Amino acid sequence: MRNTLQNKDRDLDTICAISTPQGVGGISVIRVSGPEATALTRKICDFFPLKPESHRAYYGHLSDPRTASVVDEVVALYFQKGRSFTAEDTVEISCHGNPSIAREILSLLTSHGGRIADRGEFTYRAFMNGRIDLVQAESVLSLIESQSKAAAMQSLRQLQGDLSDELVKIEDILVWCLAHLEASIDFSSEGIEVVKQSDLETKMGDLKGKIDKLVKSFQQGRLIKDGLKVVLTGIPNVGKSSLLNLLVEEDRAIVTPVPGTTRDVIEASTNVQGLKVNFVDTAGLRVSQDMVEKIGIEKSYLAQRGADAVFFVFDSSNSLSEEELKELADLSESNLYLIGNKRDQGELDIEARRIAVLKQVSQSIFFKDLPGFCDKLKERVLIVSALDKKDGEVIRANLVKRLEVEQFEDQAVLFQARHYEKLSVASRNMERSLVLLRQQASPEFLALEMKEALLSVQDTLGKRFDDDVLDRVFKEFCIGK
Amino acid sequence: MLNNLTTPKSDFDVIVVGAGHAGVEACLASSRLGQATLMITSNVDRIAYMSCNPSIGGLAKGHMVREIDVLGGEMGLAADATCIQFKRLNSGRGPAVRGTRVQNDKHRYSAHIKAKLSQQPNLTVMQGEVKSLILDRGICLGVNLQDGSQIFAKATVITTGTFMNGVMHFGLQQISGGRIGDQATVGLSDQLREFGFSVQRLKTGTPARLHKDSIDWSKTEPQYGDEKIYPFSFRSPLKFQLPQVACYLSRTTEETHEIIRKNLDKSPMYCGIIEGIGPRYCPSIEDKVMRFADRASHQTFLEPEGLDTDLIYLQGISTSLPEEVQLEFLRTIPGLENVKVVRYGYAVEYDFIEPTQIWHRLETRPIRQLFLAGQINGTSGYEEAAAQGLVAGVNAAHSLLGKAEFILDRDKAYIGVLIDDLVTKGTREPYRMFTSRAEHRLVLREDNTMDRLGDLSIALGLVGSEAKTKLEHLKSRRTSLLESLQTEKLFPNAETQEKLLKIPTTVLNKSISFEELLRRSEVSCSDLKGLNFSIDEDPNVSEPVEIEVKYAGYIKRQNELIEQAKKSEELPLAPTLNYGEIKGLSNEEVEKLNRIKPRTLGQAQRISGVNPSATQAIMIYLKSQQRTDRSQTENQSEFCEGRGRRSQSSVAIGTVVPGAGC
Repeated sequence: MRNTLQNKDRDLDTICAISTPQGVGGISVIRVSGPEATALTRKICDFFPLKPESHRAYYGHLSDPRTASVVDEVVALYFQKGRSFTAEDTVEISCHGNPSIAREILSLLTSHGGRIADRGEFTYRAFMNGRIDLVQAESVLSLIESQSKAAAMQSLRQLQGDLSDELVKIEDILVWCLAHLEASIDFSSEGIEVVKQSDLETKMGDLKGKIDKLVKSFQQGRLIKDGLKVVLTGIPNVGKSSLLNLLVEEDRAIVTPVPGTTRDVIEASTNVQGLKVNFVDTAGLRVSQDMVEKIGIEKSYLAQRGADAVFFVFDSSNSLSEEELKELADLSESNLYLIGNKRDQGELDIEARRIAVLKQVSQSIFFKDLPGFCDKLKERVLIVSALDKKDGEVIRANLVKRLEVEQFEDQAVLFQARHYEKLSVASRNMERSLVLLRQQASPEFLALEMKEALLSVQDTLGKRFDDDVLDRVFKEFCIGK
Repeated sequence: MLNNLTTPKSDFDVIVVGAGHAGVEACLASSRLGQATLMITSNVDRIAYMSCNPSIGGLAKGHMVREIDVLGGEMGLAADATCIQFKRLNSGRGPAVRGTRVQNDKHRYSAHIKAKLSQQPNLTVMQGEVKSLILDRGICLGVNLQDGSQIFAKATVITTGTFMNGVMHFGLQQISGGRIGDQATVGLSDQLREFGFSVQRLKTGTPARLHKDSIDWSKTEPQYGDEKIYPFSFRSPLKFQLPQVACYLSRTTEETHEIIRKNLDKSPMYCGIIEGIGPRYCPSIEDKVMRFADRASHQTFLEPEGLDTDLIYLQGISTSLPEEVQLEFLRTIPGLENVKVVRYGYAVEYDFIEPTQIWHRLETRPIRQLFLAGQINGTSGYEEAAAQGLVAGVNAAHSLLGKAEFILDRDKAYIGVLIDDLVTKGTREPYRMFTSRAEHRLVLREDNTMDRLGDLSIALGLVGSEAKTKLEHLKSRRTSLLESLQTEKLFPNAETQEKLLKIPTTVLNKSISFEELLRRSEVSCSDLKGLNFSIDEDPNVSEPVEIEVKYAGYIKRQNELIEQAKKSEELPLAPTLNYGEIKGLSNEEVEKLNRIKPRTLGQAQRISGVNPSATQAIMIYLKSQQRTDRSQTENQSEFCEGRGRRSQSSVAIGTVVPGAGC
């Protein structure tokens, strides 16, 4: 990628790459972009017309011009300059999904003057040709790296310009406010009221609301991108590791009947309704003499802190111990679920077990300072068996429903930390602007706050020159992970 | 720079054509820098004439007058000496949007300047009509006069104001001329056009002048000036030099508007006779009535043109309607029921040179040693003109002295903003300065002009030795005032607390420095006097120090923004750069960049129609150039890193990186 950034001549090359994942599949797509895209295609696809029509597919046999031997039957789709992703002449050749066929086509293209595209080079060209802005370029990166459907959806929306559109809207209102503020300064001696304070206040409040909503969405954006983190905790030997294996549907953790088997933090991910969820199994919480286990327990406490949810696992065939109740009280601040394991053991039915646990909690001395805790727990007690696959489904479904990840579905969501940082600054500027406006401070200070907010928004959109940002964004394309 | 220039003979080093506010500053600057200078004017009786309103300064304009003054120009001194009303506009607002405006005795103003010119060594003033320039292979060698004579000089500054092909409109009647009583300059703009310059048309207007005895003053509202003067010039005495007078406020009525609307077909602006674009911010009364149709009234100030004249200037009512219509509508304004008009308002249409054709040093791009300043560059206002005159005069002299070009940065002076805007963006209407044009407004204040430009001025050498000493002296007084504010402490004893309560401000619970006390918004410098702190009362000392202390937080943030902007402001772009070679630029961008040839990436960003992505493209191109340059000298190895080159082998055929198709 970087050599493209560094070398202007390379930007004039016609680039090509296999755009579908490696391996056997139904079809593979080879993308060709650049000034020679059609000429290059014509060299190996004699059926491809000299002046193809944009967005039209041409079917025929692709062959090696030197030997005239047919490589595959293909469909070549043409996108005219200015109407393609890169804004250059582009041809997408669909062949059968045999990796060796795709590679042969690619090799034919390069031997006739094409160059293999660097990572992200199509996006880079789209950006350089003004086809997409920086926010959209960044979204291409997230889209490629999305590990779940929700993340991919959001990236796609960002690429389609949802976030850019929202930011441009914000920018417009900021410019409107600034223009009116400035005019009221410059025409102060003309005796004209350029803008009513109340109108300005309404606009600015609206602006702050819009920016704050985006800033808040970062938390959700992060959830969508990095996934949820769910920590499994509880005293030893209640079956946390079995539960983890159940939830991720593979044997990630070693399961033995010996208490304290899990000594380190084990992580495993799964996809729940299109959302990535990282489950973290921790060492059982108990006073241990074992050095290694002690460190493991320390880590368990640490892991709980950054969690989006904590599953407190207990043995539902027994009542909760004092130790467990105390532990629960300590976790009262977190997004807590009580998972009663071992449904298959013991006498009582599920409902009775739930009632018993809740009763125990409500009567325990540890919770007398925590009013409402019991009510909050009511909906959050699940009695399951780590041996029953259906129960795994129940837990996962419950989890996603409760975290309400979908609430931002219809809105642009912040993904990138860079966007979050910039817009947080803008939000603070707006906060101060509103204070200044209400205090009727001299408008020049208000203007400075708004100007800073505007610069932050423009930085986010990549509208202002900043070499470092450009580097940061395209570096990720270059190196990959 | 011009050492190799061989002219047949040079009568002068520098010729300045025009004697308006730009011409005056240009002549003085050039002659003060030791250049034998000739001022040519078509009318020596109209030197430094206030053709329109009898006032200097205003918001953002007052800033420029102070800048001109610190740099060694004359405008501030003349305005102070002939001030008959002084006002600090927006004095209740923040420090960056306060502006000084004075009413002047216009004849004394001209007389003051004329006296300065006659005392100035190296300067000759002559009356004459310039017909054309003497050009040789793209270099200006002097001027041809109407009488057939030629005057040669190494540099020429044109400051012809509204005179180039000037046409005055009185209703539907048109008369050639740049100002009432003065001939237009004909021929010069045709010559420039033939040379390839883009010459456009602008218009401006002036209101009627009234006889003071025909006005019923009782129906108007007197407007007095401030009681204390804070002169434009640091060299002026801190007191009024002439008696102070009032201006008077009145308003147009529905009846006035009705008459104007009824007669629009007789306005050259509205029936399409005038092609030039007028200023939006200083519109004619016809414009105001039509554009603000919902307003029942517009204010007008009746301003005396001087102490010894009977003429009253009618601020805000510029018009080009026929005389009889003017008289009819004027008489509907309270106080003017029986008004006698001494001179009717009129509009002037004139040629200007599209200013993107000049460099920051105000030399034209197509013709060397030819400098332009003032309204010829599309500006409006005495202050804008004078500022350019000074810069053009200095640069004309510097070009002969082999000195570096004199350019003020946008974060240092409004003059820098003015010129950068003109040469970068051009203008479609008469350009007037506003505080909003300065993106670094909070540090471009009237009060800190000396801090911004003092050292630069001393290096420039336009100020005399006495003024230089004063600049240095005031600077050290400001430094010592700030030091004592920082070091001297106030202790919470009973006496102090009592005095603080009187200000009123909260009492102390521990000792604080006077600087900390002054940061409180309710405490001013004058309050410190009562607390036994000796304050330097010269506003050239106390005001900037107080403001720097009070607004330290905002000033710091503004400075941070300046630092951010420097990333691109300090990235030079060679004038030889061919933008056509840069991938990712639109044809329009290439055309504009190649034409304007920005000095820095920052300037490139300000060109209208050049998109942010273009800046990125230029940046990337420059890097690749640096890289190419470097790789020619060192055989660099390939490495894969952030800014590094990616190894070719990693993209060999068949080993496509996943995601490469993105």
